Amino acid sequence: MPAVPVSGALRVLVCEFGCTYQMHHAHIDKFAYQDSVIHRLDSRVKFIAVLVFTAVVISLPRTSLSILACFAIGPFAVLVLGGIPLRFVFKQILLVSPFVLVLALSCPLYDRTPLTVAFGPFLWRGTIGWMRCFAILGKFVVTMLALIGLVSTTRFNDLLAGLQKLGVPKLLVIQLGFLYRYIFVLIDRAHHILQARAGRKLRNLGFKRELRTASAMVGSLFIRSIDTAEHINIAMQGRGFDGRWRSISKLQIRRADLLFAIISIFFMLVLYIFVKPILQ
Amino acid sequence: MHMANELLSVPVAAGTLAIAAAAIGFICRKARQVIATEKLALMGILGAFVFAAQMVNFQIPAMPGTSGHMVGAVLLAIILGPHLGTIVISSVVIIQCLIFQDGGLLALGCNIINMGLVPCYLGYFLYKVVTAGQFSSLKSYIGAMLACLLALEAGAILVPIQAALSGVLAVPFSTFLITMIGVHFLVGFIEGLITVAVLAYLQQVRPDVVLDCLPGKVRLSRGAVLITLAVFSIIAGAGLSLLASDFPDGLEWSYAERPDQPDFDSVVSNEDPRVAAVDDFQSKYSLLPDYSGRTSKLGQVAVDEADLSAGWTSFAGVVGSAVTMGIIWFAASILRKRRPSKA
Repeated sequence: MPAVPVSGALRVLVCEFGCTYQMHHAHIDKFAYQDSVIHRLDSRVKFIAVLVFTAVVISLPRTSLSILACFAIGPFAVLVLGGIPLRFVFKQILLVSPFVLVLALSCPLYDRTPLTVAFGPFLWRGTIGWMRCFAILGKFVVTMLALIGLVSTTRFNDLLAGLQKLGVPKLLVIQLGFLYRYIFVLIDRAHHILQARAGRKLRNLGFKRELRTASAMVGSLFIRSIDTAEHINIAMQGRGFDGRWRSISKLQIRRADLLFAIISIFFMLVLYIFVKPILQ
Repeated sequence: MHMANELLSVPVAAGTLAIAAAAIGFICRKARQVIATEKLALMGILGAFVFAAQMVNFQIPAMPGTSGHMVGAVLLAIILGPHLGTIVISSVVIIQCLIFQDGGLLALGCNIINMGLVPCYLGYFLYKVVTAGQFSSLKSYIGAMLACLLALEAGAILVPIQAALSGVLAVPFSTFLITMIGVHFLVGFIEGLITVAVLAYLQQVRPDVVLDCLPGKVRLSRGAVLITLAVFSIIAGAGLSLLASDFPDGLEWSYAERPDQPDFDSVVSNEDPRVAAVDDFQSKYSLLPDYSGRTSKLGQVAVDEADLSAGWTSFAGVVGSAVTMGIIWFAASILRKRRPSKA
């Protein structure tokens, strides 16, 4: 039998207030519940600022490197002001980098146009491929800094409320809200199943039986998910859910938000218009 | 195969975001009319199920050390129908981007198209074509297998196309394409195997779920299927023809210079002063001025004073940025130390 909805809800509560699961996923937005100048900003302002920032960084020429360091100042300041530990940030960036890393590292293999780069007292001889590789990695790090700066300083519910105000379809917002709430419950459940398998399976069983075991695990997880959904639905109907997602997050643009918006526009404009032509 | 920001140019990112947003908006509006509130919980939980199912890994033979897991798009499309399947998978992709930072914010449109829209609709369509008529479990297994293979492959093929349209990669298009097809053939095959096995399990335990009876399923009419397929093929065709006509990457370099042949004259040499002015403007505003040192005559590099000074400005820029960040960090840490003592 699946877990009863009450325990599910309790687990979600536990999750939301500092949970103890081993998954790195569960720890990911623990910093969103801190309080700082950045945390108090309106989620819409932050979201749009990060979106524009990412677009600006991506539109930089594909071989300019040193300007990326200047662009990094913005998200860096946000992260520091938000009190997010930098070790956590870099760990997170490393965790999601493999695909980009492979593609970036393949650049030097294909573009071997030689060039010499003068960098202060140093003169470096390399290829355009390497420059591109570094530029891709640099852009990756800078845009990831911005994204982590957004996510780890904004509660997901606030972000969702902001997104809905920005015109994201209501159905999708509700879907995201549910998904966020129950990810950790189901991941927890998957952990139990995996533990059970590890306890019973002492050796590699061969592909056929491995596959059968895995599919049975996924299948039972699926059925338990459906049952849980039915229970949750009954509980929600009982409490008068009518398809509208109500949230206590209050969204209003205050003076601090305006200030943040002006500063970020100023920052990007200055870098793009004045610094970019000089500093390539 | 999460696309990253860096592999896209802004126009491509904006275009794919617009396509994905339009599609999701349309589907949501359509679906809102059909589904009742009690399906909302089901969809949300199934989205979380995708995350949990991805944790269930198993050993792949012949490749020790690697383990496979499922993606789940085709399974959800088969069970929920393509509309709701797409919404669920898109929400998974969005959460992966926003909470786990897997895939960039600007690349969200690409990721929704590659991993949500295309696999769900194509997979559902293929499954329906194969299982048309009398239901038999063999037919449904073949259909699911085929759907997984082709749907994941189609999504994977879009990745190099989008990257090539953006012109960010130095990797030749064909190499990238072949790698993606090869890798995702394997991924699709394993996905197919586990989807078939899960379907078989579900048929034993809850046959009602597999046989179209799950509540909240939106049926797709034959006309709608054909129209979506046509739209997809037009988009794919347009993308491919764009690639064929002006491949933005290799071409640009090849006519400007040939590093392997120092005596090679540029094919395009235009003496028009306006063109020269534009070139000058471009070199000022787009490329690294440091690059002007690449007049490579048999490895000899001419570095004149202009290049050196450009090198110094970029050095100053990087050092200045580092110093600024250091100052911010120090100021913040001092402020933070002070705050508890005040309180």
